[in-house]
Amino acid sequence: MRCRSVGVALASGFALFVITAISQEMQPAQTGANPTAEQRAAATRVFLGLGRPPDKAAAQRAVPVYQQSCAFCHGPQARGATGPGLITSDIVLGDDHGEVLVPFLKAGRPEKGMPAFSRLADPQLTDLAEFLHQQVEDVANRGAYQVQNIVVGDAVKGQAYVAANCMTCHNTTSFAHIASKYRSPDQLQRNWIWPTRPADNSLSVSATVKIANGPTLSGRVTQVSDFRITLVDNDGKTHVIERGPGVAVQIKDPLAPHQALVMTLRNEDMHNVTAYLETLK
Amino acid sequence: MRCAPPIWLGLMSAVLTLTAAAQPSVSLDPQTIGQPPVSSWTTFNGDYSGQRYSALKQITAANVDQLTQRWVYKITSVGAQRGAPEPVIKCTPLLVNGVLYITIPDHVWALDAHTGKEIWHYEWTDHGGHLVGQRGVGIWKTSVYFLTPDNWLIALDTATGRELWRKNFADARKQYFSTSAPIVVKNHVIVGVGGDAMDMPGFLDSFDPETGELQWTWWSTPRAGDPAVKTWPNVTAAEHGGGMTWMPGTYDPELNLLYWPTGNTNPVFAGQGRAGANLWTEAIVALDADTGKLKWYYQVSPHDTHDFDNTTAPILFDRVIDGKPRKLVAQASRNGFFVTLDRVTGKYLVVKSFVPLDYSSGLSPAGEPIPIPDKDPSVGGSINIVNATNWQAPAYNPQTGLFYVNAIEGKAIYYLIDTSTHPSGYGGTGASIGPSEHVLKAIDPLTGNSVWTHEYSNLNNAPTTLGASILTTAGNLLVSGDDQRSFIIFSADKGTILWHLDLPANESSGIITYMLDGQQWLLFAAGDSLYAYSLPGK
Repeated sequence: MRCRSVGVALASGFALFVITAISQEMQPAQTGANPTAEQRAAATRVFLGLGRPPDKAAAQRAVPVYQQSCAFCHGPQARGATGPGLITSDIVLGDDHGEVLVPFLKAGRPEKGMPAFSRLADPQLTDLAEFLHQQVEDVANRGAYQVQNIVVGDAVKGQAYVAANCMTCHNTTSFAHIASKYRSPDQLQRNWIWPTRPADNSLSVSATVKIANGPTLSGRVTQVSDFRITLVDNDGKTHVIERGPGVAVQIKDPLAPHQALVMTLRNEDMHNVTAYLETLK
Repeated sequence: MRCAPPIWLGLMSAVLTLTAAAQPSVSLDPQTIGQPPVSSWTTFNGDYSGQRYSALKQITAANVDQLTQRWVYKITSVGAQRGAPEPVIKCTPLLVNGVLYITIPDHVWALDAHTGKEIWHYEWTDHGGHLVGQRGVGIWKTSVYFLTPDNWLIALDTATGRELWRKNFADARKQYFSTSAPIVVKNHVIVGVGGDAMDMPGFLDSFDPETGELQWTWWSTPRAGDPAVKTWPNVTAAEHGGGMTWMPGTYDPELNLLYWPTGNTNPVFAGQGRAGANLWTEAIVALDADTGKLKWYYQVSPHDTHDFDNTTAPILFDRVIDGKPRKLVAQASRNGFFVTLDRVTGKYLVVKSFVPLDYSSGLSPAGEPIPIPDKDPSVGGSINIVNATNWQAPAYNPQTGLFYVNAIEGKAIYYLIDTSTHPSGYGGTGASIGPSEHVLKAIDPLTGNSVWTHEYSNLNNAPTTLGASILTTAGNLLVSGDDQRSFIIFSADKGTILWHLDLPANESSGIITYMLDGQQWLLFAAGDSLYAYSLPGK
């Protein structure tokens, strides 16, 4: 009843950009196949119970005041310098709309060297509160994170790697304009390493199922478990076959060489190839 | 600031529904907590060892195909919760005096084990926290202990569900949240906590079961003056270093030691602001149950930068090695290493990878895996393993001598996002790449080698944090499930599939077994429903 009849890869084209390893659970259930950055951030905010989103415009208005009056002690992102970090401050986290922070900032904490900011008008202080909430958001809401520019490799070395390692299966036209197909270099990077299986089924997993004293079926696999396999044959007919004694399943995955690549690829080669492919717009 | 502001108290509310006329009397003698489970299941892992092994053998390979559904309890009174579209039962049910106790976030039910009928239902209205899961309750005498997402420890009456007292032990606004099952040891209710979004320190609290008074706190990272601060650049980094305690630990009554797994270091993916090993995050720690004092530690992932979140059960078992009886503890860690330690001293016997990995250059003198810096998250991306397992319970069977774990074999690209000298929060991200396969492994804990493995066939990737728990029995059974809604019973010695059942959802809870009215029952959940099976009536 063992399932894997040959040592070839079973895999999916599932390629959403998801965080893999957050402590307890990964991401909130996605509402659509391709959420926007804003939707992802909002869903993560709800998932984490982060409460009301900060007012971005107000936070932006407070930048000059913060950098001039606060950053010296508390750091440019409120993560602490000579004074304490404010992101995990009880006062900041206990505040919703400035109702705690505004009176606090007006009074200061002279005994600890924190001056009073009574010269600032209430709206400025409210903006400062939003600035601090935005710093918390930037740290705590991982759904709002954006990767940096990931193109760090050497394109010439990347071209040499492709020439030496990829031309058994591919030719130069395989990569023409490849960078223009993806909206960002990290999408390019993940797709050249592990391509999304196209809708035309050209990279689908296939199988041959031999049934003792019965027919042999082959076709595209739509799902397989330890107990059944579902195939679509060349005529488009779906077969659901119960697995068990007398049913031999042989699976082939055209992406098997890419699975081997995933297991062995060095970071430097990955960076170099991405840098090379990024030049092929 | 470990307590919620008093202003919140007025907003709290809880709803109790009593649905049965006859209330059974349920009282658990504290002396019996942690005894091997037979006609009850009194603590998260059944007993204190974490083995999830039952000596029952009425159900065997010869009759497993006769298993019959006795009842199903479906949660119908709870709709979508914040961040969770539908209820999923992730707890391990407890069974005392014929009454079952199950949970989801904010909810506890007492059910009649014979019929699945509801006896009472307690509902909590949270004010914050993460509704990602709830692992179950603890019981002592006539009290049930329940943790809420916003970090309240609540004591309920076993018979009625009436609230006896409650105590807040962490601030949800600091992204602390609670999902764990309290572990009752002697006169201590041991409570762990989760939450790694904001660089807070983990801790373990012990409360008086009668009054809820705090008895001791053990912090997962050192405070000023502790020698372990030298594994951090400074005290501030240590005080914001993470190490959550969100999965229940195990306990050796003879040694009076708790064995607790500690979670990932903070900031999570960006390690440049916390040079050093970062004790006692990512470790197994042995703590005196009466004082919370650290007896020893073994750090599974020194200076973790991959959210390896070492929260899997440290399973206690005894073996004879070279003619000498040994008290051992073993863990299949989420960093992909299987470790077996002497649980008296913390010294290692076995440290061996149980999934394909290439991020370690060897072992330190203490047997701790040494990470290769090139495998750390970087701006351009760095390939490493996905978490090799997660919170779903592993098991150990003393008859086969094997340790069982549902492992995940796969890779991810890890990106460093926050490149500042003082990163905060996660500071990076990871995206799985290529196939991730669920593989059930039976590991010899004295060698770390797999004696048998079972790859669950699947065209889709293994979910990163979902998957079935494991139960094993003296009837040579290993009970678990796949990611395609199959509940599967294997032979424990060889991994042969003996029986399976198609369910409407994936197995999602701890799986328990017990004798009730002369029959061995199996109880497990899948999604919003709890399923009770036994052999046909005699």
